[in-house]
Amino acid sequence: MTDYFEVHSRDGAARIGELRLSEPLWTPALVDDVLADAGSLWPEEREVPDGDESALTVLPHRAFPGGTPGEVSEAFAVEYPDVEYPSAAVVAPDTAADATAANADAYVLSNAQELAGHARAFVTAVVRTREAIPADTALHLPGVATPANVATLAYAGVDLVDTDLAVVKGTQGRYLAADGEYFLEDLTDLPCACPACQQSVETFDREACETHNVNALRAALGTVRERIRSGRLRDYIEGQARHEQWLTGVFRRLDQQYGYLEQRTPVLRRAEMAATSDDTLRRVEIQRFAERVTGRYRCRFDNPLVLVPCSARKPYSESQSHGQFHDAIQFRAHTVSMTSPIGVVPQELELTYPAQHYDAAVTGHWSASEIEFVADVLEAYLRRNGYPRIVAHVPDEGYREICETVEERLDLDFEYTVRDHPTTGDSLSNLASTLSTELKYGKRERQHNTLRAIADYQFGDGAGDALFEELRVESRYPKLRAHDADGEQLAALVPEYGLLSLTLAGARRWVDSDAPTKRVEIDAFVPHGSVLAPGVVDADDSIRVGDEVVIEGPSAFAVGRAEMSGPEMAESTRGIASRVRHVEET
Amino acid sequence: MSKPSPEVYEQGRGMDAHNQAMREIRARKDRTYDPREPTRVWLDEDNTPDGVYDSLTIILNTGGCRWARAGGCTMCGYVAESVEGGTVAHEDLMTQVQTCLDHERENAEDPAGQVKIYTSGSFLDEREIPVETRQSIAETFADRDRIVVESLPDFVDREKIADFTDRGLATDVAVGLETATDRVRRDCVNKYFGFAEFERAAADAREAGAGVKAYLLMKPPFLSESEAIADMKRSIGRCADVAGCHTVSMNPCNVQRHTMVEDLFHADGYRPPWLWSVADVLESTADEDVIVVSDPVGHGSDRGPHNCGDCDDRVQRAIKDFDLRQEAAVFEQVSCACERTWEAVVERERTYSMPLAR
Repeated sequence: MTDYFEVHSRDGAARIGELRLSEPLWTPALVDDVLADAGSLWPEEREVPDGDESALTVLPHRAFPGGTPGEVSEAFAVEYPDVEYPSAAVVAPDTAADATAANADAYVLSNAQELAGHARAFVTAVVRTREAIPADTALHLPGVATPANVATLAYAGVDLVDTDLAVVKGTQGRYLAADGEYFLEDLTDLPCACPACQQSVETFDREACETHNVNALRAALGTVRERIRSGRLRDYIEGQARHEQWLTGVFRRLDQQYGYLEQRTPVLRRAEMAATSDDTLRRVEIQRFAERVTGRYRCRFDNPLVLVPCSARKPYSESQSHGQFHDAIQFRAHTVSMTSPIGVVPQELELTYPAQHYDAAVTGHWSASEIEFVADVLEAYLRRNGYPRIVAHVPDEGYREICETVEERLDLDFEYTVRDHPTTGDSLSNLASTLSTELKYGKRERQHNTLRAIADYQFGDGAGDALFEELRVESRYPKLRAHDADGEQLAALVPEYGLLSLTLAGARRWVDSDAPTKRVEIDAFVPHGSVLAPGVVDADDSIRVGDEVVIEGPSAFAVGRAEMSGPEMAESTRGIASRVRHVEET
Repeated sequence: MSKPSPEVYEQGRGMDAHNQAMREIRARKDRTYDPREPTRVWLDEDNTPDGVYDSLTIILNTGGCRWARAGGCTMCGYVAESVEGGTVAHEDLMTQVQTCLDHERENAEDPAGQVKIYTSGSFLDEREIPVETRQSIAETFADRDRIVVESLPDFVDREKIADFTDRGLATDVAVGLETATDRVRRDCVNKYFGFAEFERAAADAREAGAGVKAYLLMKPPFLSESEAIADMKRSIGRCADVAGCHTVSMNPCNVQRHTMVEDLFHADGYRPPWLWSVADVLESTADEDVIVVSDPVGHGSDRGPHNCGDCDDRVQRAIKDFDLRQEAAVFEQVSCACERTWEAVVERERTYSMPLAR
């Protein structure tokens, strides 16, 4: 049982947590003031302290610093007692799994000095430790936090840090900032406005530098918490971490730990996503969208394909350029937007996270990796979806190169309709005349296909047909509602993130269908509003934050939206596992 | 509330692990040594109960410490400086002694009043130094005033010491006690004897008319800076209370090749002690009824005890000054901006966050 730590929200591996002391501490945070070290067992035997709820007690420990031979850490490992007050166990990555029996609320990693500055070792150790300890426990990385690295530490899954290194650096005349470290004697300005820096650089001494460093670390942690709350830590990291090479190395190597990040990354957000670097291409959200579009989505239109460039305005259909494309196409073709960093966006998925949420820096110039990525996605898309004709209404820069690459790879013939620029009169009339002989599809077909496409994307290949066998659509795009033949509502499209929310009838359809159901098994109670983790008996591993889930137990059948991943639900003893939208007693 | 003891360390298990790890680490060394060459010889000056003496200091190459062959101490690389394969013959050992005498003759005007003989293990272990050799060496140096021989306490007995005292030499047995805390000696240093054994050896030496010099190790692995300081202060106090133990030589740990300490050091898990810590211990134990000296080896380097790089030589000089004068006031003469860093480290560093500063 984790009694004193609860995760309230998640942004990838980073979390907003609450260390539930007599005065709660919201994490990621400095733990200095609330940490009570019961001491090391290396020099002397120690009693398990009495402890209380005012502090996080570090249980008597034997720390294994970097370089400790495996047989030594194994032989000297401490069996921690299970205590009834907030407690932390000191572990090394290799001993963490064995230490979980004591149900500590937090774990202190004893080889942090070995990890800081070394991206590969850091990522390996943090991932290994995080996976060994329960999700609803805090991870403390002592003695290494700086204003520059703390965002990346949190991004990797660290919850607690301290001021020790910041103070020590201050005593050495090293002035710390979010963009790195300055030697005090080199500074002409004090690039900060904290109270310690309210003086001239001439009078600013090392004591002031210690205070400033702590202030800067506090401020950096405030930024981290706000970024996590708004679901935008990754956007920040991609920029800020670049100030130190090893931090850039950390987030890039974490991208290669796809399983670790994917499990922790929500399937939807309302927040904007900044697409400002090549690293954005490797974000889980981007990779996941491309995977689903090329592996789950299926085009249900019989019309030709028109490839168009994306627009800055989202959703695309509300942009001026896409309005012009639409006027030319007139429902005679299926429109798919090409875009970096998303890849390809079929018109039915233009609302679906992150298609309407990303914002790229548009220069007209495409990097080689962007071209490669979008070409790969388009190729995979066209392997899965056949069209009678493919019209490429794209400008020269990047787009044309991608189209020609894919055309050649798949031995297809694209018809190119742009002269000069896609929105010139010539280009648009060329597009219109190219399609003039094609038949139009109707509003009903468009709406049905949209709902089914989103169901495919959200629930799996073929789910659109399995869930919506016979379908009646009500209301207007984008607020579409899916009803069955009898008029019972099954689902609604949520315009903010382009995914479906199910009704109880929809959930029952899902359970009865061949589409893989994401199921949360609960104890015998009827949940209202939410299901808490202790009530969860088991949960599908595939559940991600934001997923629709069916909640079932001896007393209730419900549908809701997951607040935790499946593995986190199963191993947590605190926190909200899922919101409940509709419930009925059974 | 369940409240089991956190102490699950099983007697022997930790030592087996240390030994296994150390054997693997030592196996990496590939150098061998000439059995006719001493490991090292130098001339220096020492504070003794009889005043300050010029010393001829010899490290004999004896084939190595038996304990080190089993694995041995976590910080000790001297086994790597021993001959391969085992014992060194009497003739070879005497050749080494002769080399040392030649060195002295070339570098000093007069023979030193004191001779200190260390080995890579125990001078009084007869499997290392045969009886014949011990007696020949005693005879060789019978004209000096004082002799110091190094030994683990197990090998200390009256008859062996009598070889020296009977020849009129004021004799000290130097014992690598490392710390008065049995737990630290066992778990951090991986040395097998207890403080009681040291007390027994001191009593035996005293009965034979000899004295004991305790060698302490400042900052073994797995201790934070503040724990290391506290352990030394406590240890010096306990040594002072042992009858016959008239001198404590506190050696700040340095990073020797092919040791566990070196592995920790390379993985940012160990930093040798600050010279400020050495000064702090000397200063605060100056009033103890025992001579306390320290000779920081490799001072100022990353692998040796060091401060910030600017003040290392000055602090080292103060320490050497203290060795001869035993006056705490010598440390009032030195200061540096890095004292504040040291203070922060002492206050903040934990075994789970060390080293906080390099």
